[in-house]
Amino acid sequence: MNSLFKSAGIVVLAGAFVLSGCSGNGNSGKGSNNQANSSVQDANFNKTGLPIVNDPVTIKMVSPKAALAPVFSEMEIFKRLEKETNVKIKWENIPDTDYAEKKNLLIASEDLPDAFYAAGFTDYELINYGKDGTIIPLEDLIDQYAPNLKALLERRPDIKSSITAPDGHIYGLPSWEDNNLGTNPFFHVINKSWLDKLGLKVPQTLDEYTEALLAFKTQDPNGNGKQDEIPLSFMHMQWCMDIAGIFGAFGLPDNLEHRVVRDGKVIFTANQPEYKEALKYFNEKWYKQGLIDPESFTQDAAQYLAKGKTKDETLGSYIWWEIEEVVGTERSKDYVLLSPLKGPNGDQTIGRANGGGPGRAAFVITKEDKNPEITMRWIDQQYEPYMAAQIHWGPLDVVFKKDENGKLVNLPLPEGTSAGEFRQKVAPGSGGPGVITFEDFGKVVDMEPRAQQRAKDLEQYYNAYMEKENYPSIFFEPEELDKINKIEPELIKFVNTQRGKFIVDGNVDEQWDSYVKTLEKMGLNELMEIYQTGLDRYNANLKQ
Amino acid sequence: MNQLMKRKSRGDIWFDIFNYVLLSIVMLLVLFPLYFVLIASFSDPNYIYSGEVWLFPKGFTLDGYERIFNDSSIWIGYANSILYATLGTIIGVAVTVFAAYPLARKDLVGKSAIMWFLMVTMFFSGGLIPTYLLIKDLHMLNTIWALVIPGAGGVFNVIIVRTFFQSSIPDEMWEAASIDGCSNTRFFWSIVLPLSKSILAVMVLYHVVGFWNGFFDALIYLNDESKYPLQLVLRNILVQNQVNSGMMIDVESYAAKMRVTELIKYGVIIVSSLPLLMLYPFLQKYFVKGVMIGSIKG
Repeated sequence: MNSLFKSAGIVVLAGAFVLSGCSGNGNSGKGSNNQANSSVQDANFNKTGLPIVNDPVTIKMVSPKAALAPVFSEMEIFKRLEKETNVKIKWENIPDTDYAEKKNLLIASEDLPDAFYAAGFTDYELINYGKDGTIIPLEDLIDQYAPNLKALLERRPDIKSSITAPDGHIYGLPSWEDNNLGTNPFFHVINKSWLDKLGLKVPQTLDEYTEALLAFKTQDPNGNGKQDEIPLSFMHMQWCMDIAGIFGAFGLPDNLEHRVVRDGKVIFTANQPEYKEALKYFNEKWYKQGLIDPESFTQDAAQYLAKGKTKDETLGSYIWWEIEEVVGTERSKDYVLLSPLKGPNGDQTIGRANGGGPGRAAFVITKEDKNPEITMRWIDQQYEPYMAAQIHWGPLDVVFKKDENGKLVNLPLPEGTSAGEFRQKVAPGSGGPGVITFEDFGKVVDMEPRAQQRAKDLEQYYNAYMEKENYPSIFFEPEELDKINKIEPELIKFVNTQRGKFIVDGNVDEQWDSYVKTLEKMGLNELMEIYQTGLDRYNANLKQ
Repeated sequence: MNQLMKRKSRGDIWFDIFNYVLLSIVMLLVLFPLYFVLIASFSDPNYIYSGEVWLFPKGFTLDGYERIFNDSSIWIGYANSILYATLGTIIGVAVTVFAAYPLARKDLVGKSAIMWFLMVTMFFSGGLIPTYLLIKDLHMLNTIWALVIPGAGGVFNVIIVRTFFQSSIPDEMWEAASIDGCSNTRFFWSIVLPLSKSILAVMVLYHVVGFWNGFFDALIYLNDESKYPLQLVLRNILVQNQVNSGMMIDVESYAAKMRVTELIKYGVIIVSSLPLLMLYPFLQKYFVKGVMIGSIKG
């Protein structure tokens, strides 16, 4: 028995030696490999010019993609980039709808790629992952290896300030199409052919508008003998389909955040007297007289869009991003845009949408990246304006051609595809890295025809009445974000529900005081303080 | 026959009529949604939303199906789903039955310990991230095995099958067989399995449906689109057109996207549920038997 144990012990020991020997060898092998790698790399890496590396280097990237899009390695634009730079990207593309979930999973399980492309990190994630070292600060890399980006940030301090985290680091790179098209998303449309038929002129004031709606309802303008006309339809508290703009007739335009800025002061709209007046008006003059489509509070976009395309024309007035989408191109000539209406006290104003700054997380580099300088040089290619335009809309010879002035102009679309669809197929799109600045439009690339039309409409109907300031897109401290996330969703939900109730049920005067008190109880004052502090900090930064 | 008819009282006849009417209404209530999905998949979405479609397709169009079938990934998805469902069902049913039979026998040593051990997993799972890490360390990421192995042998199914064995294969049968010189293995293959067709059919159906409808595992563990099962492909086709109102600028195709989404939504339902609708009638008779038998023999 004893000898048996002895021999077993010897075997175990011997095994241990063999194992440790093996692993020792393995380690040293790995070490020398690493060294060899880095020395090769130094010779391989070019600090300027193309290609970036002489021998191909592979970098692993995770990116969301639109479901229509092919895998990025199949995309023309990235094939060209690979040929030019010698940097081979190993893409892991995640359908954009599942991206947030899978990204969190990858980070939580430390299964990190070298970089996230079109990363879409929230401010919160940027700061927290920056703090714990999951993603690395980029400002030194930008300084040394990103001439295009560096020049852009020097030219545009506002972009630099908006991508700089409160701790002074830059963790994510910007993405922006700087075109101001979203300043007023609520385009207010009315049926001009009905107005003509009924002998009314295009309303200038809110009361004239109400009269017109009433006439639509009662005088059968579509002439089918049925009272099937919908005077006004909209989508309650939805992005470009809400009546928030019309609140401006009472002096204070609303928006989806219920937050506006005047003279550097943040104002919460939904407890102001102007807001109350507006609700009373909408209830008494519109809802009680049946001028609002009751489905406005519940319908989804598909139902809403179907209302513009019924067999007999039934839609009198509506709100949407543009005329055509709701009623179709054929009918769109019956409809015209309305400038902001003059209110009972002569107010005439329209809001300016909040935010509207560059995205801050178009690209982040993780701690796993062994070649951050190569990665930075690779991504910097995409901040060259022509390249940025191609990353956003699609490559040369596929979507664009260069005209005699060197500007990118659109080639005709392939038969049977819409511009939006095609864009998804050939380019990472609007969330991708790259900044097309205001100056670049018209010089480097043309706006799409529809965007140009929109710019014209904004100029003609809205810009003169537009609020001067908005609440910019501000990079908050994590503690501030915590508080905002705690207070705001509930508060906004309450306000929105109440807004619907006030418009439908009335009783504004009776319930107003308790409504305002509830808002305060829910932390409104604290929330506004945070927003004010953020805005003050932002303004101070800009002046620096 | 005539006599039978005569014996029916007036009340019986009224009762029959009432029954038929009621059951017909119930049947219509069940069938109409299915029928509606079918006709809606051929109709112009604008008509659907203005409530004009209810008995016949209106604005007949095949656009939805054209889009669905033009997407070559759908055929790959079909093939993948069939492969996953087949393989997963074979593995799953085998594991379930092999686990359930010993647990149904009185002479298994440590039965309650094993059962207790299995039960724990019903209430406590590792959670998403540890499971993901485990799959990763097993090098099953981005392989078919990540879909068919981890889910094999659900404890709930094991319990159902075990109960079935306990109640429908009496111990006396094993005693008789073993006196005649039958081995355990022989008994299992030649006697237990042939007597358990109905529960096997139930298990097959459970597994096939589970694998056919499942997309979450594929979503988490697969990166390679050529490995996506049908449900994930359809989900992608569907959501590709869903509009994200956060993207302020890329609005141009909002309405176009909405229209396409509506069009293909119903088509997608038809395409993805057709195989199961076809499979179900063949398994249905076993299904009723398999589930009922426990309650009858109690």
